[in-house]
Amino acid sequence: MDALRYTLKRILLMIPILIGISMLTFFISNTIPGDPARLAAGPYADAKVIEELQEKMGLNDPVYIQYFRYMKSLLQGDLGNSNYSHQPVMEDIKQYFPATLELTFFSMFITILIGIPLGVISASKKDKIADQFARVLALIGVAMPAFWLGIILLLFFYLKLGVLPGSGRLDTGLAPPETITGMYTIDAILTGNWTVFTSAVIHLILPGITQAAVTIGMITRMTRSSMLEVLRSDYIRTAFAKGGSERRVLYGHALRNGMMPIMTLLGMTFGHSLGGSVLVESVFSWPGLGKYAVNAITYLDFPAVMAVTILIAVLFIIVNLVIDILYQVVDPRLNYE
Amino acid sequence: MPLLEIKDLKQHFIIKKGFLGEKKKVKAVNGVSFKMEQGETLGIVGESGCGKSSLGRTILQLIKPTSGEIIFSGKNITHLPRKEMKALRKDMQIVFQDPYASLNPRNTVRTILETPLIVHGVGSRLERAKIVESLIDKIGIRKDQLDRYPHEFSGGQRQRIGIARALTLNPKLIIADEPVSALDVSVQSQVLNLMVDLQKEFNLSYLFISHDLSVVQHISDRVAVMYLGKIVEIADVEELYRNPLHPYTKALLTAVPLPDPTKKRDRIILQGDLPSPTNPPTGCAFHTRCPVATPECKVETPELREKVMGHWASCIHVHPEQSSKSKVNIS
Amino acid sequence: MLLELKNVSLSLKRDGKYVKILDEISLQVNKGETVGIVGESGCGKSMTALSIMRLLPEKAKLEGGILLEKEEISSYSKRKLEKIRGDKMAMIFQDPLTSLNPLHTVGRQIEETLILHTDLNKEQRKKRVIELLNEVGLPRADEIASDYPHQLSGGMRQRIMIAVAMACNPSLLICDEPTTALDVTVQAQILDLMNHLKDVNEMGIIMITHDLGVVAEVCDRVIVMYAGKIVEQAEIKELFINPKHPYTKGLLDSIPKLAMKKTKLGSIPGMVPSPDKMPKGCRFYERCSSAMEICREKTPPMNLVGEEHLAACWLFEEKEGEANASSRNKGLEATLHH
Repeated sequence: MDALRYTLKRILLMIPILIGISMLTFFISNTIPGDPARLAAGPYADAKVIEELQEKMGLNDPVYIQYFRYMKSLLQGDLGNSNYSHQPVMEDIKQYFPATLELTFFSMFITILIGIPLGVISASKKDKIADQFARVLALIGVAMPAFWLGIILLLFFYLKLGVLPGSGRLDTGLAPPETITGMYTIDAILTGNWTVFTSAVIHLILPGITQAAVTIGMITRMTRSSMLEVLRSDYIRTAFAKGGSERRVLYGHALRNGMMPIMTLLGMTFGHSLGGSVLVESVFSWPGLGKYAVNAITYLDFPAVMAVTILIAVLFIIVNLVIDILYQVVDPRLNYE
Repeated sequence: MPLLEIKDLKQHFIIKKGFLGEKKKVKAVNGVSFKMEQGETLGIVGESGCGKSSLGRTILQLIKPTSGEIIFSGKNITHLPRKEMKALRKDMQIVFQDPYASLNPRNTVRTILETPLIVHGVGSRLERAKIVESLIDKIGIRKDQLDRYPHEFSGGQRQRIGIARALTLNPKLIIADEPVSALDVSVQSQVLNLMVDLQKEFNLSYLFISHDLSVVQHISDRVAVMYLGKIVEIADVEELYRNPLHPYTKALLTAVPLPDPTKKRDRIILQGDLPSPTNPPTGCAFHTRCPVATPECKVETPELREKVMGHWASCIHVHPEQSSKSKVNIS
Repeated sequence: MLLELKNVSLSLKRDGKYVKILDEISLQVNKGETVGIVGESGCGKSMTALSIMRLLPEKAKLEGGILLEKEEISSYSKRKLEKIRGDKMAMIFQDPLTSLNPLHTVGRQIEETLILHTDLNKEQRKKRVIELLNEVGLPRADEIASDYPHQLSGGMRQRIMIAVAMACNPSLLICDEPTTALDVTVQAQILDLMNHLKDVNEMGIIMITHDLGVVAEVCDRVIVMYAGKIVEQAEIKELFINPKHPYTKGLLDSIPKLAMKKTKLGSIPGMVPSPDKMPKGCRFYERCSSAMEICREKTPPMNLVGEEHLAACWLFEEKEGEANASSRNKGLEATLHH
């Protein structure tokens, strides 16, 4: 009950934040020079056509009227039409966002699977060889630019060895599975299409590793420092005094206590990746939100920019909320107040 | 005229939990009154959470009181403007528990001791140096150690430096908040001896706050026992330790383990722990743990009354002696 | 005899070099006996306890023999140690709040000891947890078992720690300042409980504390430590009535006592030497009021100074002269095998 009330409270709190964000984006975008009507009409359109278009797009109305008009249609699920792709922005997002979501999930999965155990080992074997190795690895991960690693991986596994595909989400010739979530791997499982599933997973490997490299480094370092602090605690000594083995103490007592800062960082990187990693998506021609956003900005595609911004904001808030709720699941000292 | 008089002092903190959380009130000090004379040491004892530290800080007005009056040298200082308060701070100083945390690690002892003099514009440079040097001599630290940093001293020396700092401005009252609790026994005794010597020399008054009943007994002239924000008993030190009246004081005194294996005492063991000051029990706050509590104690809030000459206690089950016709207000 | 330490020395790595923290500690604890170890901060009393439990930091060098129920445990492997920790020997720490895992219910924390050392099934363990909670004086055991440490008061938390330690009926219980973090009235409750448990369970207890009052209250015998060495040991009354070592005397004089108002307290000048700069002779030499020439040069041996009373001080060198080590050791053994 408490948990439910807390969650509802937090969701209600999202409303003013979202209104603030939408206003800010809307008004800032409006002050940027450049005329969407002119862009939409094309370089050879004459002044009259542009004027008509401006009138039609409502660009002559006061800004706040434009804002209210925008918000009204937003609430009806209408994000307007893209001036670039000439289809509803909603359709664009439905197409690009699942790709990013899928890549993010995959890279976060790798991050958690490798980063956390690496950090735990590093902390428990402090200053020994395993620790030095993990620390160097983490440092490389953090220091290396993602696009550079991406290119190297591409050169090696795609061009040289030819074992992994280098671009896109599926082998050419394969039709995407029926859209349920938009994430090919999941949709393939749901429809039982294993050829597509295999192909989708293989296509995820290189961009997934590239995107994960940086976050693995960060998570390893965070896990290590958090665990080192926890391992100094009195209750760890108590756990040993009871006769607990090192493994039991590490994973049964220490890790959960050290989870807080790790969770915070995971949440932040997750939220960040959801906005689309432009560099990784460009290197691997991954048709995700990051690429879409860059296009939208380049072509002053105002409705698309608005939509992407609001989407990213909402995602960040949701991720934050989930992390906050997880905190309370992990730590009983934080009650739902 | 007493040096310090406290009238019905209250310090209520509001604790707000989280962004949308509910507000909770902590009644840290909940109606405390007493007087103390120049040159006297008043000990304040009580367990954690009884409000003894908040009382000290409120008297110094490091935190503004919620209500009540603080009268210092005959002057009501409760609502003084900032400037006057600053001048008054010269006369009231504080010594903290943790000598490690209360001395700035980046300053030399000389700077630490000289700063209060500079802040209050005392003397010329030379005069200040003289004051600092004479002080350092009194606390048993050599002149050539003046330019050292706090970490180069032991815990006991640091606490002595803390005391010297409190003395630089020649105060009348020193509020000592657990000044020896962080120290080992042999060092503790050095600091206590020093405090007694300094008191004689400068006619200082100490408000000595501590949880340690034997230390308080050693240094105090009078002792007040606090429980959940209130004084439950106050009397001369001999009287209080020989003839405790309040059931809480009795339990507290018998609870202290004596460093003497040949003496076995009948101990009053209290049940349970201190209730939370956010939600103190009704009536007498002690009734939940009191061995002699009756149903009235739940309802009736006892007042601090003189039960024997100069001996005040707040318990409805302690009856004033017939001989002393005491009045209700505090003498 | 339950526990015996034979010339135990401990060195820890500090700033790249080994520093001797404990120097030739020898002591014995019998079944059903409570031995107090007193001394001021840094004297090595906690490290002695951690050496017995072998809960030492990495890169610790431990020498000498530790015998628990006649088994040499100082050479035990990690795995073997895990088997006896929490089972045959258990430990209680100073701060019960930080010593309990904040994220596990207290019931689970007590149960963990049972999982590690017994074959009880889930049902039986649950029953035993409730039993233990009742034994340490916690009513409403059912509810408390599912509480988290932060929901309990300081005194209750220390009772939980005691329950964790008592879960497998250890023969040796080591208490490291178990009441220091508690208020006096709560301390009284815990000491009362410990005295009661001691009577019931026949275990040997090592009580480490800086509070001579606590020692007087619960101990049968006392060991006084100074700067990593034992300086005096005696039966409890003997030590308080007839202290021999100048350090013990100074310590006892420093405590404010009843009916000694505003008289000068005794105090010990100076401070404890740091472990990496230990003097050659007696470690108390610089602060000692009765120091002699020999004290600066040579470490004083343990001398028998009374019945079951030993002091490491040149003032009490056995008068017969050539008191050799073996006769001293005989004396020591004789006193402890009473």
